[in-house]
Amino acid sequence: MEMKKMITGINITKHYGSGDDKRNVLGGVSIEIKEGEFVSVMGPSGSGKSTLMFALSGMERIDGGRVTFDGRDLGTLAENELADLRRTGMGFVFQQPTLMKNLNILDNIILPSMRDNRRNAAGITEKARQLMQKVGIAELAQRDITQASGGQLQRAGICRALMSSPGIIFADEPTGALNQAAAQGIMNLLSEINAEGTAVMLVTHDATIAARTERIMFMCDGRIVSEMRLPKYSGKDIEGRVEKITAKMREIGI
Amino acid sequence: MYYRIIRNDILKSKGITLTTMIFVAAAAMLVSLSAILVVNLSGAIDTLMKQAGTPHFMQMHSGELDKPRFTAFAEQNSKVDEFQVLDFLNVEGTRIVIDGQSLADSVQDNGFSTQSGKFDYLLDLDGNVITAADGEVYVPVTYMKDGSAKVGSTLAVAGKTLTVAGFLRDSQMNSLLASSKRFLVSKHDYAEIKDSGSTEYLIEFRLKDLSTLGAFESDYTAAGLEANGPTLTYPLFKMLNAISDGLMIAVILLASVLVVIIAFMCIRFTLLATIESDYREIGVMKAIGLRVSDLKKIYLAKYAGVAALGSILGFALSFVFRGLLLENIRLYMGESENSALALGCGVIGVLLVFLAVTAYVNRVLTRFRKIPPAEAIRFGTSQEQPAGSKRFNLSGNRLLNTNVFLGIKDVLSRKSLYGTMLAVLVISAFIMIVPQNLYNTIASKSFITYMGIGDSDLRLDIQQTGNIAGKAADIAQAMEQDAAISRYAVLTTQALKVKLEDGSEERLKVELGDHSIFPVAYSQGNRPAAEHEIALSAVNADELGKKTGDSLTLMIDGEARELTVSGIYSDVTNGGKTAKAVFTTRSAEVMWSVIYAELADPSLTGSKVTEYADRFNYAKVSGIDEYVTQTFGSTISSVGKASRVAITVMLFINVLITLLFMRMLVAKDRHSIAVMKSLGFTNSDLTVQYFSRSVFVLLIGMVLGTLLANTLGQVLAGVLISSFGASSFKFVINPLSAYVLCPLMMAGSVLIATIIGTAGTGRIQISGNIKE
Repeated sequence: MEMKKMITGINITKHYGSGDDKRNVLGGVSIEIKEGEFVSVMGPSGSGKSTLMFALSGMERIDGGRVTFDGRDLGTLAENELADLRRTGMGFVFQQPTLMKNLNILDNIILPSMRDNRRNAAGITEKARQLMQKVGIAELAQRDITQASGGQLQRAGICRALMSSPGIIFADEPTGALNQAAAQGIMNLLSEINAEGTAVMLVTHDATIAARTERIMFMCDGRIVSEMRLPKYSGKDIEGRVEKITAKMREIGI
Repeated sequence: MYYRIIRNDILKSKGITLTTMIFVAAAAMLVSLSAILVVNLSGAIDTLMKQAGTPHFMQMHSGELDKPRFTAFAEQNSKVDEFQVLDFLNVEGTRIVIDGQSLADSVQDNGFSTQSGKFDYLLDLDGNVITAADGEVYVPVTYMKDGSAKVGSTLAVAGKTLTVAGFLRDSQMNSLLASSKRFLVSKHDYAEIKDSGSTEYLIEFRLKDLSTLGAFESDYTAAGLEANGPTLTYPLFKMLNAISDGLMIAVILLASVLVVIIAFMCIRFTLLATIESDYREIGVMKAIGLRVSDLKKIYLAKYAGVAALGSILGFALSFVFRGLLLENIRLYMGESENSALALGCGVIGVLLVFLAVTAYVNRVLTRFRKIPPAEAIRFGTSQEQPAGSKRFNLSGNRLLNTNVFLGIKDVLSRKSLYGTMLAVLVISAFIMIVPQNLYNTIASKSFITYMGIGDSDLRLDIQQTGNIAGKAADIAQAMEQDAAISRYAVLTTQALKVKLEDGSEERLKVELGDHSIFPVAYSQGNRPAAEHEIALSAVNADELGKKTGDSLTLMIDGEARELTVSGIYSDVTNGGKTAKAVFTTRSAEVMWSVIYAELADPSLTGSKVTEYADRFNYAKVSGIDEYVTQTFGSTISSVGKASRVAITVMLFINVLITLLFMRMLVAKDRHSIAVMKSLGFTNSDLTVQYFSRSVFVLLIGMVLGTLLANTLGQVLAGVLISSFGASSFKFVINPLSAYVLCPLMMAGSVLIATIIGTAGTGRIQISGNIKE
């Protein structure tokens, strides 16, 4: 069955600075992400991976081109409409766990949902507890964020992203600050979420992480220079998948 | 990197840098001005009192005077250097007409005198002793200042016309607080107008050694010499001369302290905001091996520059305003001899401000030490751990809007950060409410009972005349037959001797009569009801060391009689030293008499005042409101003005401090703001969060400030009021202004500043701030 387009980016350009300091970060990127896809974007530092993610999620206004999400042109949406979209249709996971220091872990997870629906606090809390159970941090609910490990906080961040049952999760180097075991745990979790139907777009420069996805885009100097597809990861032969990716990288010279 | 930081700092906070400089300049100017004024004032007073030969001891007296007895006393007393009795012709204000305008509205006791022979000279504006020619009059300098007279004006008194030849400085009566004013005429003219008023005597002494003044006063009292008027001494004259300008200096100094505090807060919040924004760069500089002192130097240089410029500007400004403020001192007292010293003190004052500012900057910058380079480079913001408020959970919140919850939660978890803001708001509420309550209190009609004045409609004063008791009885009889008067009370003051525990005697002014008709407020105990009871004014009770229930021995008609202190009350009249009792004496030695009356129809007060004033021209008749206005009108209006100024200044400070605080907060929170935005919180959500923080702190601040104002403020205002005789009072609060208008104004100013100060949240980009 043909999957429905979820995000379409056409000829996206973005620059920072002006005059002599002007730096083109995205130089005409076109991209499509379908419902339920597991996509990764790879590339060296400064290639524009994160900026592309910010552009597709409406966190950064673009200078040229067009981005649509579920058929809505992000360029025509007001800041508040973009915020609503992020809160209800997307989830985010960053390299460092972006949790509020003055809230405990449970409160951090329910935070965006409580904005719209605090009357249903009981229902929201129940859902959060189920998600925490699922990702293995149920016992941390009342803890401060200083009382949890990086991996646990990242799991909490994923729970928060899942609270609104979004169509897509954007993950920017989600394992970048974690040790290998914790990183594998997070990737297992993201694979599971994807298997349940949520699209995942992750940005990474680590081939072993990208190897868990089905579609890998390679970026260099603000452009997508190549793309490859892999079969769904079954838990076997990760080395073979990594080898294919690194061969591709050598081929395109990044 | 050094220059980039300084450049960024100045560019980012042009307005604040300028504001800081202006505050430093204002503080430097005020401190310099007060130093210059203090030196000039004390110098000018000394010069004036030296030139004039101000008496060391002066007793005012009206009525019969046994001059040879005085001369004998002065000759026999070894402490006396010189002695003289001056005549002072007290003339009713309506009878003195300058250029067609009478002095009827003057609250001063105006009178004429001739130049004295030995000391207590009246001086011209160059400090020379004046000799008035026939037909000439010299007018007190205060009438030049208020424009009543100029050189060449004509002054008519008792049918005689004199020409104003100049103005005079009077070392004892210059001050507006001294209630008499002397006009100088020639001996010949004085003799001609002598019958137009009543003569009072100024019995003056100069002592060989001023330090024997206390002993001399006892000698004078012990000798039982005439004394039915006020007694004044050299230190008192000095204080009278210093007090009005001294008060101004005190206010300027207070204002400068306030301004320095505001400058400190500006610097603190700007610096903290700068440190927060440059957190990563500071970490990098520390990481590459720069010393904390190198980093401090950059900021210190900037603020030392700002402080130096501000100080120089302030010092220059002090020159501009110096003339204006010294004008009054120069006019009333003449030049000071120590102008170089004044300049030196001004410079020292400015230097102190400069040093205080740089020392403060240095202190704030010790924060650099606490920045861990690794953390700064990694996170780019300080990773301080929130404290407390663990039980205040979002998951348990059903009541508050999530944004409001987040705002309050933030305040609770960063208490020390918001503490500064809270302190400003508490102080601000306090300073806004206390003067206002004080004003409402002293302006309210019931307040007069705290001042030792009965709450009546009319007040008749009979003093400095003969046969006071008889005259009072005449008036009482007239009132008895006057149907318009519903009740009245005659109170007669006599000076009685009180025996102290050490055996010595002191004179006590005791007001005799029925004190139940127009009672005053008693801070302790009750009014005297029985013959053996006496109530003391707060100042007297304090001086005599008596409290309610204690006994006191009074000499009544030559016999010692034991009385019990029934109560203590506040009094601002007669220097606050009075007593009240109901017994009668056989003595006719009455100092003065006051008759209070209440009218059946209070609207008739005006006509009754006129009627009684016409009928009993020896009595000073006033409606009680008028009496209060005359006595305390200027105080009431000054307090009113001060309260309005306090409100305006505090509102301005609220706006400034909130604005700076919010900007610092936004700089500190930019990572959290970016996270919030990435989670789908809108700019208006963030505004509501910051608004909630402000409102929460504001509410606590206003409640604490109001509570403090009504407790500590009341005590402080009580201390202020008791300094002029009244004690134990409660604020009369106008609920509309204290509980509605003031909080509304405060809330308005803080919330507007919050909106402006947090406008920057909208400009914070997620992409630039979320990556740590």
